[in-house]
Amino acid sequence: MDVVLDNASAVALAFGYTLSLFVVAGVLSGIFGTLLAAMRVGPVAVLSRAAAIYVTLVRNTPLLIVIIFFRFAGPKIGLTWSFVDISIGDLNLNNLYAACVVGLTVYTTAFVCEALRSGVNAVDLGQAEAARAIGLPFSGVMREVVLPQAMRASVPPLASVQIAMLKNTTVCGVLGVLEAFARMKGLTNDYASSRTEIFVAFALIFVVLVEVLSFASARLERRWRVA
Amino acid sequence: MTALENEERTPGTGEPLVVLDKVDKWFGQLHVLRDINLTVHRGEVVVVIGPSGSGKSTLCRAINRLETIDKGTITLDGQPLPQEGKELANLRAEVGMVFQSFNLFAHKTILENVTLGPIKVRKKPKAEAEARAHELLDRVGIGHQAAKYPAQLSGGQQQRVAIARALAMEPKVMLFDEPTSALDPEMIKEVLDVMVDLAERGMTMVVVTHEMGFARTAADRVLFMADGQVVEENTPEQFFTNPQSDRAKDFLGKILKH
Amino acid sequence: MRHTRIKAAIAVLGLSLSLAACGDAGSDDEGRDVEAEEVEEGKFEEGTKMAELAEAGKITIGVKYDQPGLGFKDASSDVPTGFDVEVAKLLVADLGIDPASDSVTWEETISDNREPYLEEGRVDLVLASYSITDERRKVVGQTGPYFVTGQQVLVKADSDIAGIEDLKGKTVCSVTGSTSLENVEAAGAKGAPADTYSQCAEDVLNGTVEAMSTDGSILLGLAAQNEGELKVVGDEFSEERIGVGYSLETPEMCDWINGVLEESFEDGSWAEAFELTLGGSGAETPEPPALDPCPAA
Repeated sequence: MDVVLDNASAVALAFGYTLSLFVVAGVLSGIFGTLLAAMRVGPVAVLSRAAAIYVTLVRNTPLLIVIIFFRFAGPKIGLTWSFVDISIGDLNLNNLYAACVVGLTVYTTAFVCEALRSGVNAVDLGQAEAARAIGLPFSGVMREVVLPQAMRASVPPLASVQIAMLKNTTVCGVLGVLEAFARMKGLTNDYASSRTEIFVAFALIFVVLVEVLSFASARLERRWRVA
Repeated sequence: MTALENEERTPGTGEPLVVLDKVDKWFGQLHVLRDINLTVHRGEVVVVIGPSGSGKSTLCRAINRLETIDKGTITLDGQPLPQEGKELANLRAEVGMVFQSFNLFAHKTILENVTLGPIKVRKKPKAEAEARAHELLDRVGIGHQAAKYPAQLSGGQQQRVAIARALAMEPKVMLFDEPTSALDPEMIKEVLDVMVDLAERGMTMVVVTHEMGFARTAADRVLFMADGQVVEENTPEQFFTNPQSDRAKDFLGKILKH
Repeated sequence: MRHTRIKAAIAVLGLSLSLAACGDAGSDDEGRDVEAEEVEEGKFEEGTKMAELAEAGKITIGVKYDQPGLGFKDASSDVPTGFDVEVAKLLVADLGIDPASDSVTWEETISDNREPYLEEGRVDLVLASYSITDERRKVVGQTGPYFVTGQQVLVKADSDIAGIEDLKGKTVCSVTGSTSLENVEAAGAKGAPADTYSQCAEDVLNGTVEAMSTDGSILLGLAAQNEGELKVVGDEFSEERIGVGYSLETPEMCDWINGVLEESFEDGSWAEAFELTLGGSGAETPEPPALDPCPAA
């Protein structure tokens, strides 16, 4: 473990990138996934169809290809994301970071949409009918009645989606963001004799992060079970 | 309006409120509503009975467009039912609906269930909506349970909350889709009592039910449906003592034997 | 929406083709013809690894597949090319094995695999742009160097950047897990990790990053591939001593390797190999480096 401790600040910064990728892409995919799910289950056929096509396309494309698309095909059509350049402490969120976030978000959005849709399907049809019967428009039916209940039913699948996303951020380690995976590769390259320790240490940190997420999701699930 | 003038007048009622004119509906190959003509007048209580699969629930749900129709027109207070969208939502606010399976919003308290419509649809101030909700809950006998969640209440209590929720919108007409069918026998009466009270206060009601006792006491008119058609239409007194059609005789024979 | 998606898909396809095309340079020729030497009785002492290999007539060499000029193999060719490979051929020939024959297996060793493959005996030697470091010498044997290079900077041809000094706070691409990436960080630039060097070059070309940095020899190869679009700038700001890796279990190989290298320095085959590979990217042939002494047995 000495190697990891000796490089503690570099490792911490790397996990800072990992977590920031996770949080930013997590929040964005949460928002877009919800909108997409609303389109998907909504009454407007065109939107529903568009959402279905989006999900089919993105879900059937490997994450790496989705991110590479934004990293390399984007610049080819002039989209270099160069307008993004934010520094928070030692974290530098630049254009490469932005492209990775967009890729992760686009990809994860499809899964969030499907997790929520499964949640929506779990909500009794009568709930939506009753909401319509008191005169709520579609948006109100979704916002006030269906989505809050769908969210509850979606907590376990959503947690799985976001845990997968946390681990998926490692793809960015070969696409321009010096996150945990890239840092780990750097350390294993430098310290050939301590590879196993380095690997175990990084794996453990990931385990801890995922456990924290699982714990939070389990709490949420319990707390929302009242009704 | 000529269609209305041709309608037979029924006793003790005001002007027409809900009018169905030559309504047809299919579920795929199944012709569930066949040429339905019905006028419900203000203050009138119409009870729809019939064997299961006769289309009576579909008829009830068509009135606030939870089911679409394929032919004919439905008008409410002189206005035809709009297509999906804002206007339809506005129209539904005028029509109270009580479901067989209550359908209380599971994630909201009893009070929130009753105030959601007034606050979000009618844009009433929260305090006013809550005061009115408490009144209505008291009226249906659930006043002290306002802070609970639906799952904590019995079926009968939930159905009474559902009635209060519909009344909170101050609807022009109330639709009841088999409101007691999912209830244990000992709870049926508490719901029917609320409904009878409502009828006595002059609410316009369309009630799909198997409760013949309720039909006898509260109905101004009984509609007997079979195979998607209105087979017979009469006062409860006439219908129960002297049914005209074979289908009605057969049906009554089956349910009144016990 | 559908339309742009298709266009985008085509763009991706085009990209992967262009990346593949990037790999073409440096494989124009098949390298030097090195003939196997006659191994007379007693050339290798009984029981040594060299004797064993010469006896078996087979050898496995770990090389890079993705570094133009040093070790590179594209999808269409059977054997890798580059300076690493040329030096390896000299060693192979000294064992009496024909470097051009099927008796030589060119195993791809990515950076992380080099030590484990040697330790497990999956490869007999590693010549894979393998920098000699004390840390690595704890795990495997390394001798040489047969080539000394240093890290430089590759930028767009029209860029004003003159060296690593101009890149403080800027984003500089290098390969994930490489020493180059850490040197970039140490120099005050922001490291952007990539999967391959050609990916970095792509990023420099499309303006996503300001510059890329790694061994000058690799950069020269990339600049040659994109003539007129990319240029190598600045002095070398690190020293990489490229050596041969062998297993610590066969320390006797060190003296043999040094012997073969020394001979190639003298008879001109080393310089010839350099000209044919790295020399192609415009570099002058340097003086052969001084070899490290082998650790006392």
